[in-house]
Amino acid sequence: MPQLDLAVFAPQIFWLAVVFAVLYIFMSRSAAPKIADVLKKRQNTIADDLAEAEKLQAKAEEARVAYEKSQNDARNNAAAVVLSKREELKAEAEEAYQKLSDDLAAKADEAQARINAAKDKALGEVRDVATEVCSDIVSQISGLNLDAAAVSKAVDSKMKGDG
Amino acid sequence: MASPLDQFTVLKWADIEVAGYDISFTNSSAAMVASVVLIALFVTLGMRKNALVPGRWQSSVEMCYEFVAKMLGDTAGPDGRKYFPFIFSLFMFVLFANLIGMLPWLHPFTFTSHIAVTFAMAAFVFVGVTLIGFITHGFKFLGFFVPHGAPWYLLLILVPIEIISYLSRPISLSVRLFANMVAGHTMLKVFGGFVVSLSALGAAGVIGAIFPLAFIVALTGLELLVACLQAYVFAMLTCLYLNDALHMH
Repeated sequence: MPQLDLAVFAPQIFWLAVVFAVLYIFMSRSAAPKIADVLKKRQNTIADDLAEAEKLQAKAEEARVAYEKSQNDARNNAAAVVLSKREELKAEAEEAYQKLSDDLAAKADEAQARINAAKDKALGEVRDVATEVCSDIVSQISGLNLDAAAVSKAVDSKMKGDG
Repeated sequence: MASPLDQFTVLKWADIEVAGYDISFTNSSAAMVASVVLIALFVTLGMRKNALVPGRWQSSVEMCYEFVAKMLGDTAGPDGRKYFPFIFSLFMFVLFANLIGMLPWLHPFTFTSHIAVTFAMAAFVFVGVTLIGFITHGFKFLGFFVPHGAPWYLLLILVPIEIISYLSRPISLSVRLFANMVAGHTMLKVFGGFVVSLSALGAAGVIGAIFPLAFIVALTGLELLVACLQAYVFAMLTCLYLNDALHMH
């Protein structure tokens, strides 16, 4: 077995020591810190990104709440505007209705008065005609010339009695 | 025919001798240098972009890093952090050594199949961890060998057992890696030898050689697993020993 040849011990151990020392120095001075650096940097970046994402999410949430609030406000505002406008219009309509109905009532009263006047006038004319007709009939039948005043009185009393 | 153990022969590439010590550059040294160069390339090129979102290569480097960091953190806790470069180096070194040894061409040398190398690493870990234990706890670290709550007459037996088991750590640590690598590579070579000798027997032999060849393919898969697993086990046990030294159970 070549491994048990004592002559190969010294050179191998010497080179092992030299080579391993070089490797150790390389690892401890250069490689390990460099790799640790990269890993650390990555970890920090990930942590930073996560924190940033969280912040942005909070911001988005805030914006959402604000948006919802403004939407709510707008809705309430619109409802209030609609309500007040409706009241206003209602009052206006009522006023207009009132005015119109007053107008119409006044016009109706006036018309009624006119009707009454016409009626009175017509009734007056009926009496005159009746009186004349009466006088004529009496004079034709009896030949009597009655006093106009007496006829008118008689017609009046008859009209009242019938009326 | 060559012996299946020939692959473990250390070949001198350049004779160097300093103060009477043989420190020749060998195929073993070359494999070590290759491991470190490949690790350095793997890590440096993988991390060259320093990308926030890693590509495949950078992910592999980071996976190795995080795997070892997690292993160390889980076993030795936050106190073990400062030994991370060492554990990481150890893991990557053994891993690349084992994997380079699995390359089917270039006849690479697997230096983790040499007890001299694995024992040197294990002994370094053992001495280092023991020193850390004494530096952290002073002489109270000797209390590590005294199980809590045992009656005194049992301690007479338990303390020597604890000491022996502690002292055998570098042996078990080094032999585990060494034996695994030797067994795997020897098996591969033995079955490779079957393929060669069977196919020398003519047409029937060539057909028969399919079976050991198929076995080699399967065994190569298994050995790749063992290569990674043994690197993990070596690093993991080092973490456990470190934890013992830092926290005394």
